[in-house]
Amino acid sequence: MELTRANTLLVLDSTSDLSPELRADPNIRVVPLLVHFGNESLRDWEEIHPEQFYPRLQEASKLPTTSQPSAGQFLEVYREARKDFERVYSIHLSAGLSGTVGSASTAADEVPGVVPIDSGSASVGLALLADRLLAMLDQGVEEESFLSYIEDYPERVGFLFMVDTLEYLQKGGRIGRASRIAGSLLNVKPLLTMRQGEVDLYKKVRGERKALSAVQNYFLERTVADKPVLVAVGHGAAPDKVEPLLETLRETGRTIDVRVIGYLGSVIGTYTGPGAIGLFFIQE
Amino acid sequence: MAIADSLFTAPRVRAVVTAGYQALEERRDEINDLNVYPVPDGDTGNNLALTVRAVLEDLRSLPDDSPADRVAASVSRAALMGARGNSGVILSQMVRGAMDALADADTFDDRAIVGAFSSANNAAYRAIRKPVEGTMLTVLREMSEAAGDHQGEDHRHLIGSVLRAGWDSVHRTPTLLAVLAEAGVVDAGGFGLLVLLEGMVSGAEGPELTAGIDLDVFAGKPGPGRSGGHDERVGEFAYCTSFLLTGEGVEAGPLEGSLEKLGDSLLVVGDSGQVKVHIHTNDPGTVLSLATAKGSLHGVEIDNMLLQTAERDARLSAHEPAAARPGSRNSSRAQKRATQVVAVVAGKGNKRLFESMGADLLVDGGQTMNPSAEELVSALAVATADAVLILPNNSNVILAAEQARQMAGREVHVVHTKSMQAGITAMVAYDPEMPAKANVEAMEDALAGVRTAEVTRAVRNSRLNGLQIREGEFLGLLDGEVVVAEAEFEDAVNALVERLLEQPAEVLTVLLGESELGERPAAVLKGLAERYPDLEIEVHRGDQPHYPLLMAAE
Repeated sequence: MELTRANTLLVLDSTSDLSPELRADPNIRVVPLLVHFGNESLRDWEEIHPEQFYPRLQEASKLPTTSQPSAGQFLEVYREARKDFERVYSIHLSAGLSGTVGSASTAADEVPGVVPIDSGSASVGLALLADRLLAMLDQGVEEESFLSYIEDYPERVGFLFMVDTLEYLQKGGRIGRASRIAGSLLNVKPLLTMRQGEVDLYKKVRGERKALSAVQNYFLERTVADKPVLVAVGHGAAPDKVEPLLETLRETGRTIDVRVIGYLGSVIGTYTGPGAIGLFFIQE
Repeated sequence: MAIADSLFTAPRVRAVVTAGYQALEERRDEINDLNVYPVPDGDTGNNLALTVRAVLEDLRSLPDDSPADRVAASVSRAALMGARGNSGVILSQMVRGAMDALADADTFDDRAIVGAFSSANNAAYRAIRKPVEGTMLTVLREMSEAAGDHQGEDHRHLIGSVLRAGWDSVHRTPTLLAVLAEAGVVDAGGFGLLVLLEGMVSGAEGPELTAGIDLDVFAGKPGPGRSGGHDERVGEFAYCTSFLLTGEGVEAGPLEGSLEKLGDSLLVVGDSGQVKVHIHTNDPGTVLSLATAKGSLHGVEIDNMLLQTAERDARLSAHEPAAARPGSRNSSRAQKRATQVVAVVAGKGNKRLFESMGADLLVDGGQTMNPSAEELVSALAVATADAVLILPNNSNVILAAEQARQMAGREVHVVHTKSMQAGITAMVAYDPEMPAKANVEAMEDALAGVRTAEVTRAVRNSRLNGLQIREGEFLGLLDGEVVVAEAEFEDAVNALVERLLEQPAEVLTVLLGESELGERPAAVLKGLAERYPDLEIEVHRGDQPHYPLLMAAE
């Protein structure tokens, strides 16, 4: 079957940290996760914007917690979506980080035509994926190649992120295999990545310059010269970190096509903390 | 005593559950903090609230004119589908039992209430393989008994008696379960159950029935885990794993049998074709693959309870700053490592730094107290990893390290660290899960970009590198060579740092040694911070002898 904008809808969750343009796209629906400050529950991106979230995170005496959408929320969106679209692709935050895709699957069982998918990715990495999938729908694409693009995405996308402190990942229980570096008294800023859907350590370095040069090496190793590199950058209320990072990428001489620049949203930010920055890139 | 003919209408149940849910939300943090059993992971309040919320969401989507049996079935199913955590799964069984009884009742009278409690109680006990007293199970059972004792009374009196019996039971939980008494708390699940029921009652009957109970006496002052820290408690099983399993032929019984040996706190509940599983295990992978062999998985949730426990402890310790808590050691449970480190270290603070970075085999030594090759060999003998790295941390120890490597009879590599601060730089790159060779490469890579400096005192008059040195003067060494000699400590430091930073650096690591200089090192470092605003200066107490300052610039 050929998938097009006329017959296919993407359902994402709010941790895809979409740009306003993507969020408004007629072929995208977003189901929010919740951020809880004490007993106050707020819908990610709808009731709390990162601009409000990060200052609050730093002031909070107790860290916020998050919860995944219920199967019921997805069910509602799917039923509505199926009125207008033959196919619904429901693509979500890595199952290694959240049970969201589990809720989506429970709901998808009850609505034919809905395909729930664990993206193995997160945040602007998901936004970048959505950007690519919409481009395919614009052209029209065989369902098989559409699916295989999604399935191969976590392996093909380059991903590094840096946090100002590991505290949030630790306290939020999302540190995954990178837990072995926790607890150093030294102010080490690790470069983190994801492997098999979980946070893992790429390299430990001290100092911004070494970090950027490690990013540059990683970027060069995973890209080739003759094709543009599609890039997404997300930050935890640290826009001043974006340009030096992009400059580092440009220095490699590769052709850079920046598709997404935006905030790491409130749910993601609960685990990465203020000052985090993440880079995703892919070549097609 | 009938209230109305149509007992089980969706709007009525919705109103009552909403009231219960709000009560739980209001006390959610308190319930979280009470949670020490079965695992002190501080999430009972979240689990109960989210389970009830799932019911509420389901009720909101139910048409107002749904027949009673449909409402009851829907509530049961939503509780099961939405159940989270141990307490949520047990609650879902209580809900199911109560719904089974209430769906058949025409009026909400004393018989219906007694029947609902009894059926809820039976369902909960049936679902649990090894019921433990002093938990929400006990609380419900004692409420159910009280309901039986008061059967025949007006339903409002009856409800009042049952709630009081419930609170009495919650009060007694520490006498039945030792961990609760040790932590000075009542059972979180039992407390949460009463909060929920009381909220529902006041939603249905008005607040007067539940007045006069001072909830705050229960909140008490929960301590973080048990007195000796929590490690041994959570020690056995690390992952709270839960999921829904559906499929033809999915049965609770056989599944329970095959999962039992994989962990504890096992709950397998539900009807044929659809069961909810909850287990504390070290091997969520095997649990999931056993389950996938029998049906289709949904809503898989795996929580690391070690981290949750540490978080709960941190939260509670924050309330009582006087009580020093042992730090949580998530790493202590790591499996066999690929690489271990033997490091030669002087000074208490430096030892702590090396340990914090994962070097757990430390040998005393350094300048003027070099360890022998034999001492290093005995440290190597204790290592359990596939391979061991030696960090000599002094140029005079490198030879002994090489000898030890040859004598050890196992894979040993020497990383040529010539100073303590170089050793620390190398340790930053260390990753116990990487093979030894990769570690050596990463460490040497890190060392390549670092310059080291030391400040010490001259022990005699001498001429060195064109410098006239008098006994007692402060010497500054750059990468092992004396480059500065000054009478005043401050002058030596400033001149040395200027030389050190001739090559641009971002991070200056400083280890403060034992000295009789009092506040002078701190003051001179403050001056450096002002002079080099872009330099990140990281100061640690190293406690090494002879060297008031050790520095590394990278």
